[in-house]
Amino acid sequence: MKNIFKIKMKYTITGALFALLITSCTIDEVVDPNGPSVVGVLNGASKKQLNELATGVESTSRNGLGVEVTASGTMARELYLFDADPRNTGNLLGKDGVSLDNNSFYSTAQWNGSYRCVKNASLLIEAVANTNVVSEEEKSGYLGYAKTMKAYELIQILKSYGTARVDISDPDNLGPVLGFDATLAAVRSLLDEANTDLSNAGSTFAFTLSDGFTDFDTPSTFALFNRAVAAVAAVYAGDGSSSLTSLSSSFFSLTAGLTTGPKYVFGLGGGNDRANPVFRVASVSATEPNNGDQIIVHDSWINDAEAGDTRVTTKTAVRPDPSIQDGLTGTHETRLYATNVTPIDIIRNEELILVYAEASILANNLTDAVTALDVIRNAAGLPNYSGAVTADALTTEMLNQRRYSLWAENHRMFDLRRYSLSNTLPIDRAGDQVFNILPIPLSENE
Amino acid sequence: MKKHNHFCKMKILLLLIFVPTLLLAQETITGKVVVEGTGQGAPFMNIIEEGTNNGTSSDIDGNFSITVSSLPVNLKVFALGFAEKTVPVATAGNITIQVAESTESLEEVVVTGLGSSIKRANLANAVSTVSSEELVGNTGQTTVDGALYGKVTGVNITSSSGAPGGGFALRLRGVSSINGNNQPLVIVDGVYINNVEIPSGLRFASGGNRGNEENSGNRLADLDPNDIENIEVLKGSSAAAIYGQRGNAGVVIITTKRGKGGKTKISFSQDTGINVIQNKLGLRPWTAASVESTFNAAERDKYNATIASNGGLYDYEDEIYGNTGFITDTRINATGGNEKTKFYVGGSYRDEEGIIKNTGFDRLSLRTNIDHRISDVFDFTSTTNYVRSNSSRSFTGNENEGGLSYGYTLAFTRPWNNLYPDADGNYPNNPNYPGNPIFVRDQAKNEDSNNRIIQGFKLNTKLFTRENNRVRLILNGGVDYLANETYVYVPETHQAQVGNQEGFVAQGKNNFTQFNAQAIAVWNNTSLNGDLDLTTQFGITYLNQKSNLVNSRGSDLTGGQTNVDQSVNQVIDQFFSREKDFGYFAQVEGNYKDQFIATLGYRLDKSSRNGDPNKLYGFPKASLAVNIANLDFWTLEAINQFKVRAAYGETGNPAAFGATFTSLGSSNTGGNGGTSVAGLKGDPDVEPETASEFEVGFDLGLLNSRVSLEATYYHKNVKDLILSRSLPASSGFTTETTNLADLKNEGVELAVRGDVFDGDNFRWNTGVQFYLNRSEITRLDVPAFAQPGAGFGTGLGTFYIEEGKPVTQLVGNINGTLTQVGNVEPDFQMAFNNQLTILKQWDVSFLLQWKKGGDNLNLSRFLTDLGGTSPDLETAEGQARLASTADALRFVEPAGYLRLREAAIYYRLPSKTVTNWLGESVEGIKLGVSARNLFTITDYSSYDPEVSVNGGAGLSSGIEVTPFPSSQQFYFHLNVNF
Repeated sequence: MKNIFKIKMKYTITGALFALLITSCTIDEVVDPNGPSVVGVLNGASKKQLNELATGVESTSRNGLGVEVTASGTMARELYLFDADPRNTGNLLGKDGVSLDNNSFYSTAQWNGSYRCVKNASLLIEAVANTNVVSEEEKSGYLGYAKTMKAYELIQILKSYGTARVDISDPDNLGPVLGFDATLAAVRSLLDEANTDLSNAGSTFAFTLSDGFTDFDTPSTFALFNRAVAAVAAVYAGDGSSSLTSLSSSFFSLTAGLTTGPKYVFGLGGGNDRANPVFRVASVSATEPNNGDQIIVHDSWINDAEAGDTRVTTKTAVRPDPSIQDGLTGTHETRLYATNVTPIDIIRNEELILVYAEASILANNLTDAVTALDVIRNAAGLPNYSGAVTADALTTEMLNQRRYSLWAENHRMFDLRRYSLSNTLPIDRAGDQVFNILPIPLSENE
Repeated sequence: MKKHNHFCKMKILLLLIFVPTLLLAQETITGKVVVEGTGQGAPFMNIIEEGTNNGTSSDIDGNFSITVSSLPVNLKVFALGFAEKTVPVATAGNITIQVAESTESLEEVVVTGLGSSIKRANLANAVSTVSSEELVGNTGQTTVDGALYGKVTGVNITSSSGAPGGGFALRLRGVSSINGNNQPLVIVDGVYINNVEIPSGLRFASGGNRGNEENSGNRLADLDPNDIENIEVLKGSSAAAIYGQRGNAGVVIITTKRGKGGKTKISFSQDTGINVIQNKLGLRPWTAASVESTFNAAERDKYNATIASNGGLYDYEDEIYGNTGFITDTRINATGGNEKTKFYVGGSYRDEEGIIKNTGFDRLSLRTNIDHRISDVFDFTSTTNYVRSNSSRSFTGNENEGGLSYGYTLAFTRPWNNLYPDADGNYPNNPNYPGNPIFVRDQAKNEDSNNRIIQGFKLNTKLFTRENNRVRLILNGGVDYLANETYVYVPETHQAQVGNQEGFVAQGKNNFTQFNAQAIAVWNNTSLNGDLDLTTQFGITYLNQKSNLVNSRGSDLTGGQTNVDQSVNQVIDQFFSREKDFGYFAQVEGNYKDQFIATLGYRLDKSSRNGDPNKLYGFPKASLAVNIANLDFWTLEAINQFKVRAAYGETGNPAAFGATFTSLGSSNTGGNGGTSVAGLKGDPDVEPETASEFEVGFDLGLLNSRVSLEATYYHKNVKDLILSRSLPASSGFTTETTNLADLKNEGVELAVRGDVFDGDNFRWNTGVQFYLNRSEITRLDVPAFAQPGAGFGTGLGTFYIEEGKPVTQLVGNINGTLTQVGNVEPDFQMAFNNQLTILKQWDVSFLLQWKKGGDNLNLSRFLTDLGGTSPDLETAEGQARLASTADALRFVEPAGYLRLREAAIYYRLPSKTVTNWLGESVEGIKLGVSARNLFTITDYSSYDPEVSVNGGAGLSSGIEVTPFPSSQQFYFHLNVNF
């Protein structure tokens, strides 16, 4: 019995082994269990997939926003960021002769963030072209939306880097990095294309935008935003009359509230939603200050303000314990946003009024410029403009009003650069330097 | 007494009657094998008539009987765990043979194929073996990897955290993979072990950049080093080729303790010790003037006020890192068995408190190892290990404004600000950083717990056994199941949380299942009258690994609550991974008279992690060892071993899970679910990186191996290195992982051992190891790039992949030019290991380790410079540094060191004393004191030159950002054997 059992066992095991050897084990095709594939949405996407991409475009347009504001704000001496990263008070201010690096967070975060959104917009455009689940009107809606968002992001890149890559459709064969003028021309024509698309898109979008786009969430109202962006792009190109034309089709109004306009909204929930990156916790008192992660207002912004400018008191507050960090200090800290989910304006009427002033100066309609500037001044509790009504004087006034109306919103560095005024910035420490443009990231291999 | 005498007489009488009759034809030798020292019978010893196939084995009490054809003969007595002995026997009858227990004889056999082993003397590779005695014999050891320092040539061990429970990375013979798995494959009793670092999600409160900045421990920490019988380290591809595509970074084969059979032995050990900080940096010696010049007059006033009221400054470094942590380690095990079944049953509990209050590690480990012989044909081994481990690691390492990491907080904390809680338990805000370290230590939590079962099984079937041919079939495999839970809690009252996240909790539930199985047929053939042994084997292997990581987080917590449900904002992350490997292998070993030993082998592997999951990749190996001292012409008595050896082998490493996918991640806003391209652009055609290694060397044994030398040179090429590189971000992707480069590692390993003195009252064993490695990127298909996630950009310094340069170089942007500022690769490493026995009962041992050269990027100093708290800022040197440009050059420091890694003194009570005191039931008592990291000599300015901000992954070692400081340990040991 025993022997028979042994022999049986022997052959059973041997048999099993050879069976295993002979039947070759095939590994099934591997599918990512953690997310849908890009190729999957590019061919025959469902409406749901298109809408998810559309939301992704809106969501990722917030990428890089925090560093964009603090880096350009620091370089333009609007603010200091006191936190644990010494580069915020070192490299960005050119401390002790250090140069800006093209492989550090301040030079990559915004570039990476904006291009993530640009890529999503491109994917949406490609996906719409390769599916037949949407009508022509719906298709135009997706295209008008995606192109407008793409153009807006490219303008942000231009403001910080002065150059951009426009053709990014093939990741393995990217188009050239274009100069400022060429990029801006491409952006403006993209905006015009988008506007045409929006006009063919019927009365509603097939997708849902967040509450940040309330009043701008149909093809016709989204076009108001599209024209606002076009007006901005036009003044950046020095084209006052086109800007004025665009403004007339936008939500620009000298009488409406200054805050009207689409916004980035924030959330603390899942799915990579994000908090307002420019919010900082307020210092409660001298015994409970928050100096460790704080946006400190550059003293010059406080000191140069006209007496009674309410923007100083609404946007900033006195620090109860003005500590020094890295040899720098300031008397005020930010109050720009109340909470970590307070929305941030993408473009608001206040900026458009200033764009109107700028475009009017460029178009030599100086009294229109004064009218616009007075709207801004009065809103800030200041009397009407009383200076000379010349293009130069009004430009100075316009830039000054932009300085206070758009503090810490990524405008100042570019405003000074485009008017060649960066050299007027103060130097706070011996050995500091002024930089007004970020280097293109190392990984672009330019 | 009387009875005994009578029995003896009877025996003599019987012998007198029977011996003459037996003499006529055959001689029978009877006797007993006993263990030297204890006098106990040694069971299951092999007893062979030398020069013949005639043999037997001793029974459970050590008795044996062997019949020989003529006298005199030489009897060879041997078994695993005992020194081999040859006894001349001139007359038949009863003899007693004493054998000595030996750990050294264990080194004799080394695993080379998956189903066979080879005598060390015949090995063609430099395989390092670490015995139990070497591993844990000196001092208390928390983790296996931490216990290997200075014990293996060619290994570079990096500690990423000084927290109890470790955080270690092993690199064997340089970096062999950058984005793939460059940790060696760890196999315990045939089970492929999971050695992951599991992120806890604390980065969502601290602002850390990636999971690997959370400084989790690696899960090899679950294995109790005291359970280990020995460790074999297959360092390069030439030795590890038979492990195919899992062998690129080397293989660590761990064998746990087994029952030896015979009388049940019980061993009890108690270690008691303390953890203290190894190296305190101290406070900057502030003066009122320096406070004012660094900050301003207001700060000077605060400084003066504190001096006046407190009598001095607050030493927060001491407050946070100055805890004396208590350590206990209790172990009890029993071994024994009979002819059919042998067992080892053990349990241990280690509880270790860290140098930061409320940190610690504890581990309960239970083990049952059973060997059972079913019949002459079948036998099996089952190894079962259950582990429950918990750790509390608090907050260290890189962060961004979380106010949690102590090193960060301390860098900005000014020692004149009182941060201690008041009588009502209210903690003051830290005016200069968004966190009060005392609050964080007392109230915030970062913990994990692990339940783990590692089960191995092996069935051995002797299919066919004849004199010259033996065929065995081995089926073995195992399961490693790990259920891990992580828990991070930051109260809503934490400074950085107020007005922000309003309290944070993260609960991780992570499951890992690893299953491996193999079937191997082994054919041993002896021919040429026993001069040629051929061992042929072939088999198949299968590997299946799954993980499911779920991290639930809540913020805006209900006051004082830690349940995720008690929060306003909830976020859940989930990550799945699934991997399958399948492989075939075959190997032939030939041994001609222990003179020429050659091996040829081939392995074919496929993996679901490759672009084409069903494409087979081949990994050949070949080796030759020539024992010149065994050749007939060799007459030099003084040199008993002279072996030259050469080996070649190839191994592979598939891309990490996920590298083949280009997927969309979630990106929600305003309550709408969105998708966005993730950063990674996958490569659907990615191939495994493959290493080929050629190794040559020689082994020398002098004076009957009292002195031995092992010398090895290796040259290893990694082809098609899988690299994550930054893509032009304008493509929408930030990284891609694909085959981009070739990498070369070459190096030298030398090991000398000697029994310097071998007297009755003084014995001294010494060992010196020397090794070095050099690497170079020999091909790069893309422009040179900064390795993503391995540094802080070229502004502060980063690892930088560049053709013609070492893979370990650190590069920074110096005045606009990318410049190599350092290299983390040491010039060489040495270890000096000594065991002394004095007056028989005293054992003294110490292990010195020297790392020469190698640089670190000390970014902790960047922070303390910025905070004005670097201890040297009162000196002209410190001020000069402070005034210099903040680039990588400023923060690179030499990181060499000389360290007394282990030192111990033990006293073994003489057995007579033990018997007198405690009677026969206690066999031996050993007492001792020991220390770990007793001193370190280094120029490095921070806590420990051994650092890694990014855990064990990839290129990570050598960059420091506020680590958990390393500790010194002191122990008292008690060991009792029953």
